[in-house]
Amino acid sequence: MPRPAAAAQPRRAPPATSGAARAADRSGLFDERFLRTLEHLHLVSRKMFAGNLRAERRTRKVGSGIEFADHRTYARGDDFRYIDWNLYGRLDRLLLRLFEEEEDLHIYILVDCSDSMAIGTPPKLHYAMKVGAALSYVGLANLDRVAILPFSDRILGRLPPARGKNRIFRVFDFLRTVEIGGTTRVADAMKTFVSQHKRRGLAVLISDFYDPQGFEDGINTLRYNKFEPFVLQVYDLKEAAPELHGDLTLVDCETGEAREVTVSRALLEAYTREHERYCKQLEDFCTARAVPFFRTHTAIPFDELVLQIFRSGGFLR
Amino acid sequence: MSFTGPIAASTVLLTAAVAAALTVVAYIIKMRRRRFEVPFSNLWQRVLEQRDANALWKQLKRWLSLLLLLFILGLVALAAFGPTLGDRDPRARSVVILLDASASMKAQDGDPARKGLTRMERAKERAKALIDAMGGGDLAMVVRVDGQATPMSRFDGDKPMLRKVVDGISASDTPADLPRALAAAADALRGRQNPLVVIVSDGAYSEQALGQVLWGEPPAEAAADAGAPTTIGGDGAGSAGSPTTGGDAPAADAVASADLARVDLRGLDVRYLGVGTRAENVGIVAFNVRRYIANKASYEVFIEVQNFGSEPARRQLALYNGETAIEVKPLELAPGQRVREIYRELPGGESTLRASLRPGEGPGADTSDPFPLDDQAWALLPARKKQSVLLVTRDNLYLEGAMLVYDNIEVYKATPAEYDADPARTIHNADTGRPFDAVVFDDHTPAVTPPSPVHLLYFNPAGEHSPFAIRGPVPRPRVTETADEHPVMRWVQLSDVNFDTASAFAADRARGDVVLARYVRDGIAVARREARRKIVAFGWSLAGTDLTLRVAFPLLLVNTLDWFAGDDADLVTTYTTGQRFHIPLDGLLDVREVTVVDPAGVTTPAPVVDSKATFYGRRVGLHQIIAYPPDQPAPPAGAPDLREPLAAFELAANLGSPTESSIAPAQDLVLGGRTLAAPESFPVSARRELWVYLVLAVLALLALEWVTYHRRITV
Repeated sequence: MPRPAAAAQPRRAPPATSGAARAADRSGLFDERFLRTLEHLHLVSRKMFAGNLRAERRTRKVGSGIEFADHRTYARGDDFRYIDWNLYGRLDRLLLRLFEEEEDLHIYILVDCSDSMAIGTPPKLHYAMKVGAALSYVGLANLDRVAILPFSDRILGRLPPARGKNRIFRVFDFLRTVEIGGTTRVADAMKTFVSQHKRRGLAVLISDFYDPQGFEDGINTLRYNKFEPFVLQVYDLKEAAPELHGDLTLVDCETGEAREVTVSRALLEAYTREHERYCKQLEDFCTARAVPFFRTHTAIPFDELVLQIFRSGGFLR
Repeated sequence: MSFTGPIAASTVLLTAAVAAALTVVAYIIKMRRRRFEVPFSNLWQRVLEQRDANALWKQLKRWLSLLLLLFILGLVALAAFGPTLGDRDPRARSVVILLDASASMKAQDGDPARKGLTRMERAKERAKALIDAMGGGDLAMVVRVDGQATPMSRFDGDKPMLRKVVDGISASDTPADLPRALAAAADALRGRQNPLVVIVSDGAYSEQALGQVLWGEPPAEAAADAGAPTTIGGDGAGSAGSPTTGGDAPAADAVASADLARVDLRGLDVRYLGVGTRAENVGIVAFNVRRYIANKASYEVFIEVQNFGSEPARRQLALYNGETAIEVKPLELAPGQRVREIYRELPGGESTLRASLRPGEGPGADTSDPFPLDDQAWALLPARKKQSVLLVTRDNLYLEGAMLVYDNIEVYKATPAEYDADPARTIHNADTGRPFDAVVFDDHTPAVTPPSPVHLLYFNPAGEHSPFAIRGPVPRPRVTETADEHPVMRWVQLSDVNFDTASAFAADRARGDVVLARYVRDGIAVARREARRKIVAFGWSLAGTDLTLRVAFPLLLVNTLDWFAGDDADLVTTYTTGQRFHIPLDGLLDVREVTVVDPAGVTTPAPVVDSKATFYGRRVGLHQIIAYPPDQPAPPAGAPDLREPLAAFELAANLGSPTESSIAPAQDLVLGGRTLAAPESFPVSARRELWVYLVLAVLALLALEWVTYHRRITV
């Protein structure tokens, strides 16, 4: 009974079609029941934030709004009408009143559609799409402009920004038919994203963040380009604590890299600890940078997760 | 420590070396592992990198695991040597028990106090008593002796196992081959300590068999000529001696040959345990039947009966055809008298004949016969009657004339037009109202053929209704090859026959087609055996050949009609047990194996050599031989056989052995001039074997390995 130690294997091509989601039919993902759940979520969100929401959300852009934002020194060419004459009387300085410009909020739902998202029962991708669709619905119902962008190592497609909750069906159709696959490269995808979208807004990033190059650059790219990242990590319980034993060849579903390993209980415990440590790294990174962060596994019903997001106030303010 | 294992040391060492090499190779070759897809192998990589710090320990565990397996392997090899603690007890004996299982052991006189107890059952009791008396260090081997010598166990001291082996032996219906059994025992005991042979038997052997042993040194001149006597007895093994020179006298050659055929029992202690009490027996020693050549519808029967007892006997001899008694005759037999009875001009009918001896009637008649096996005998008569043959022809005088030479057929005639007008009516014999036995189509191939079992003979079949697919015409063919072993072609010479044209048939071997005559590669005469009928087709027209002017033509017709009737002059259907049967298969040339069903219903495969099924006859009674198409493999053991047989034959096997019917038991057996004594009691001996403990150790280590592996301790 030979039992060789774990040994790295040469990298091979990734499996052609593996994982349930790649082969699974997404046509039944958004059914009537799902739509009713979304409507319920929308009603709950309005009740929770009654009086807070005005169906619009202001951006931080300073412009011609009606709500005072700040002062700045008058410069030649400025509109006289916005000079604060009271301050001039007191301070003998010409200062201009600034107002927050009101404009539609842009919400970008960025869904990781790489091969690793196809793993799990149900597949993480399905879960991520449901959450993305739910957040889209709430955004559309609040008259925000919502765009959907699936990505892996690049942007795989784009549903242009739209508003009004009757657009949710386009979201469904788009998510049902979008191309999936590829390796996870958050940084590369986000660079492409920010270069293509000049209108800043809320960037909801739904992924497992299993990025060999790290998740930091991708989130920072959004931050540095004035987007408001909102990080949602999805994982499967069996990823965190796999039920394996014996001599196995572990194959990375994205890279095809194979490793021979003899799985023992000690190894499984070490892996579970490593997985938890990785997730904690992501959470700490986001928390330290005031980036809203949520971690969920696919066993939690998606509507429960969405309500949790609402309660925390990270998505709706 | 000593080794008493039954396997040669070189064999064990070689096996152990190969197994060790395979074990090492198995460790070197990586196992095919189950593939599992993970979403992010980097996490596993990090964990494994941390664990690689323990790589040295892991490697060590791996080597320890290999060493443990090799150690286990070594223990198994050591156990195979049969190690014992200390030397073997010098008093321990090696015993070969020759248990007679010949036909005479079925005599029901094992014990006068127990009615119906056979000699075989009594012999088994004595053999088991002998086994029970063995000492702890004694080893015994049980050999069954009938027409063959069959070792039923190896040398073993396990008494329950040996008793079970003895219990499993039953008497067969064959004579005993004592010299062969003694030779096997001598070979088995060569080089063993305190060798002992115990013959458990009724001692009913021929003088010749009892004389074929050699107790002392051979005569000097014979030894010089033939070398040392062999321990291999019987069956021409003696011819393996050195060749004699041209100047040797024939008498010296005879002596040398006789010595070579003897069984060398030098150094062996041979003992005898006798069974059986009575000698009275009257049995059938010969039973045969044959048809008359001139009138094949009748036959005659030959029966030979002998009184083997020392008292006069009165019997009734009954002859049955099927279940019908056709002759019953009282016999008065003086002691040792042999009576021959011939029954002439018996009419045909059922093909199974049975001769039976019954106790005689009247005052003073002895009603008991302890040996019933030779009171019955069987013979098979191939079913035969006068065939009615229909010729469908347009006044072919050659054909009709040739038919006239054969007395065993009645010929009727119809034209092709008459046949085609009403085939169903035409194929019925107007005299009997029954279908004809065979129909001959001369230059006519009808669309409607007579149903089975009417046999069919075609001359020049043509068109789509030909019984054999026609590949095309062959102009001016010559017969280059014939199936001489087929009954239709027996004694037929066709090589100088001229044909203007002939049809080449596509013979289908899967359907049992046999090509009777070929022109190079083209089959121009073909035969087929279907389930109940036979078909022969000649690809030429009788109007376009000079065959009709040759002697071969009527011969061909007679052979064909005889084959249709199942009448084979060479076919012998009565055999005697205790020998290898060679059964000719009637025209089945491509069959390589047949199935033999013995009288007890036991089915065994038998090979076919030179168109003869070959198997050892062990049972008295009617056997069935079934031939299946050669391209249909036999079903696996236990599964029902759904194949359609090509043909089935029957044969009868009888004891037919005066030696076995002479059941007089020998209270003292004289072997090679030496009277054998009964075995003495075995001295008490002890033997401590280690192999059991070694096997237990191996099991414990394997369990330890299994537990540690599955607990991931040695992973």
